[in-house]
Amino acid sequence: MPTDDDISQKDVLNAINGGLVVLDHNARVIRWNSWMEFASRITEHEARDRTLADIFPGIALTRLHFAVNAALTSRTSTIVTHAINPSLLPLLTRSKKPLLHDITVTPVSDPPIRRCLVFVNDVTMATRRERFLRDRQNARYDAVVANAPDLIITVDHEGLIQFANSAALSQLGFASEDLVGTNARELFETKHEWQLVLQGALSNSPGGRRIDLIARRRDGTASHLEATASLWASGTTNFVTVILRDINERRAVDEALRELNQTLEQRVQDRTAQVMQMQEELRQSQKMEAIGQLTGGIAHDFNNLLQGITGGLDLVKKRVMQGRFNELDRFISGAMTSASRASALTHRLLAFSRRQPLAPKALDVNPLLGSMEELLRRTLGERIVFELVIAGGLWLTKCDPNQLENAVLNLAINARDAMPDGGTLTIETANAHLDRAYAANHQDIEAGQYVCISVTDSGSGMSPATIAKAFEPFFTTKPLGRGTGLGLSMIYGFAKQSGGHAKIYSELGKGTTVRMYLPRYRGEAETEDLVPELSDVYSAHTNETVLVVEDEFVVRELIVEVLKELGYSTLEAEDGPAALKILDSKQRVDLLISDIGLPGLNGRQIVDSARETRPALKVLFMTGYAENAAIAAGFLEPGMSMITKPFAMEALATRIREILEN
Amino acid sequence: MTVPERVVLSEMELDALTELVNLGVSNAAASMRELVKEEIILSVPKVTIVTRDEAIRNLGERDAKRLVAVHQDFEGDIAGRALLIFPETKSLELVRAIVGSDLSLEDIIELEQEALAETGNIILNACLSTLANNFKRTLKISLPEVLHGAGSEFFYVKPPPQIDDTVLFSFINFSVRERNITGYIAMLLDLPSFATLKSLLAALIESTRSHTAAPDAD
Repeated sequence: MPTDDDISQKDVLNAINGGLVVLDHNARVIRWNSWMEFASRITEHEARDRTLADIFPGIALTRLHFAVNAALTSRTSTIVTHAINPSLLPLLTRSKKPLLHDITVTPVSDPPIRRCLVFVNDVTMATRRERFLRDRQNARYDAVVANAPDLIITVDHEGLIQFANSAALSQLGFASEDLVGTNARELFETKHEWQLVLQGALSNSPGGRRIDLIARRRDGTASHLEATASLWASGTTNFVTVILRDINERRAVDEALRELNQTLEQRVQDRTAQVMQMQEELRQSQKMEAIGQLTGGIAHDFNNLLQGITGGLDLVKKRVMQGRFNELDRFISGAMTSASRASALTHRLLAFSRRQPLAPKALDVNPLLGSMEELLRRTLGERIVFELVIAGGLWLTKCDPNQLENAVLNLAINARDAMPDGGTLTIETANAHLDRAYAANHQDIEAGQYVCISVTDSGSGMSPATIAKAFEPFFTTKPLGRGTGLGLSMIYGFAKQSGGHAKIYSELGKGTTVRMYLPRYRGEAETEDLVPELSDVYSAHTNETVLVVEDEFVVRELIVEVLKELGYSTLEAEDGPAALKILDSKQRVDLLISDIGLPGLNGRQIVDSARETRPALKVLFMTGYAENAAIAAGFLEPGMSMITKPFAMEALATRIREILEN
Repeated sequence: MTVPERVVLSEMELDALTELVNLGVSNAAASMRELVKEEIILSVPKVTIVTRDEAIRNLGERDAKRLVAVHQDFEGDIAGRALLIFPETKSLELVRAIVGSDLSLEDIIELEQEALAETGNIILNACLSTLANNFKRTLKISLPEVLHGAGSEFFYVKPPPQIDDTVLFSFINFSVRERNITGYIAMLLDLPSFATLKSLLAALIESTRSHTAAPDAD
């Protein structure tokens, strides 16, 4: 009969839900409990007195043998787990599935008796449960991650890659084992930005910031990615999962768009330049149109002046023939006055029609209007009374003087055309203060101080409907062919451009006032390049020699006569070859005065040829063409000047002195 | 903290101890190599003798507060507790180094505790049995337990420690699968055990010396 002790021991061992094997000092089985019998399908009887190696032949149990040996000899306890041992005992569950187990080996008795206990712990259930839970939790996640078009990688706190989804592997060209375990930093060219991503996530800062990264694919090409990262923990270990969105396509589109924008800017610039060019042309044609409008009046006026000249000369001729020399002076003076008026008139006309760039400058409007008075008076004719009312202490304004002249001229012409039967045209200047109330009632005008220029006629006037449209481009009340309708719109544009305003006051049958308000300019006026006044006579220094080249005999003689009177030695040539003959000689020539337009060699060609032997030759060109004057800037080299015909003799003398003394 | 009657190891005794521990970990490395089928190198640069508080301070200063430890108690002529300690952040890396990187992150997390327990068990067993064998003594060594926490918690596990406990403290370097992981190995001994250790070391040195100096003797 077994003792109570024996029974309980054996029953207890058999009742334990785990494998119990007791080995003797030779590592042979002396106990093998029921659990072991069932799991191994080997009975205790079969197992007894055999070593584990005998019981489980062909199974690599090095760790287990070592553990048994250690327990028997040095009383060491050992754990052998399924975690790091690829195979342990060939045990099966009731359903004949592999049984996952850990084994502990511990000494069970004190020396000299040596026994050890091998305990097999079934972890199948626990592991299954864990895996089942995990799989259930992860199923959805796995499905998303595996099929995500985005690259998804999980790294630990140091950036070592723990996981990379299939998109990451395929897009970067790596195999999973290449990536897992390496530091993600190595993937990126933009290491600093990667560090920002990682640190941002580790510090768990809220609001997933997107950071652009550049990754290197396995083949060496770059890939642009946008990263968002988030921190998560498993137990006590932190991980960061980074989602990398492929933005290569987006970048390409951005690039293309940027390029398009750049060329768009260029295209806009080109267009703007073109428009400005056209505006420039338009301004010029406006001017020419104004000139055209003027021409009738001018021709008439010019005839009068010529009449004064020829009449005077006629009288002189008669008197001389009659031998009556008294009072000659009076007729000559009369003719000269007419001639100088004619000269002033053409001069203004030419100056006006000259192409000039827009150049706003600080300006006193009064002298500008004063200089236009003669032109205007003659243009308007005798049936129109012209009054210029100039305000004392007028403020300065800043605008382009040519544009202002143009505007005034246009207004004057409009006024004249509105008074076919004659009337009064008044041009008036005044300082004006536009208050806030006024500004509030008018669009696009600020309260402040302005210089006001009013042009008033006593003509037919305009209806309110006409006034409303008067500033619109191409609106005209004139018959076809008599105006483009751009005059008033141009005036309005000019006033606006200058920071001012234009306004029409009119009543049918009573007349019209157009007011231009130009903003007050606080500062000094910029002096205009004035035509030299007829004042001092500049005489020649000793023996200074001037060569005059002019095909027009009368003009040449006239210039030579003046030069002689001023004390210069003079030489004459009627064309290029004659001039070059002199210039090629040793003859002293201090200054060459030459017409530009000559038959054969022109003025410039003469100078070019002469300067081969006389590089320092000083030159004064004469020209009757305004266009020539306009291109002078590119035409003239150092030591060359130009004077526009007609010119007063004393203006010529002044220029000669300036050139020679320079 | 001043320790009354503090036992001090001589330079030579300390060298001998360092050598024995290294011998132990290299045995452990051999076992693991067989297991992992990868080159594994374990080394212990230098064993130092510190108080428990110094050991705790060393752990606290060098690394993050959160640590993971595998500890085993041992008894016999020398009694105490052996610990293998890592910063918690290194533990997965260590497990991956041992089980290989073909496993998924989830699998590794799942295996972490058992793998750590067994790895610590291999190393600590090897160290302790190497010491015991060389001293020709027997140590009864318990099964391992994995602890997570701060250094102070590992060193104040019950039974309540003695005020004059001594710690044999060292770094341990793992080199496996191109990874280098540094942890700590510590052995907490009470004063009588430490005194015994000193005398055993002295005896070992003496016997080695008599063997090498006088080969004809004995």
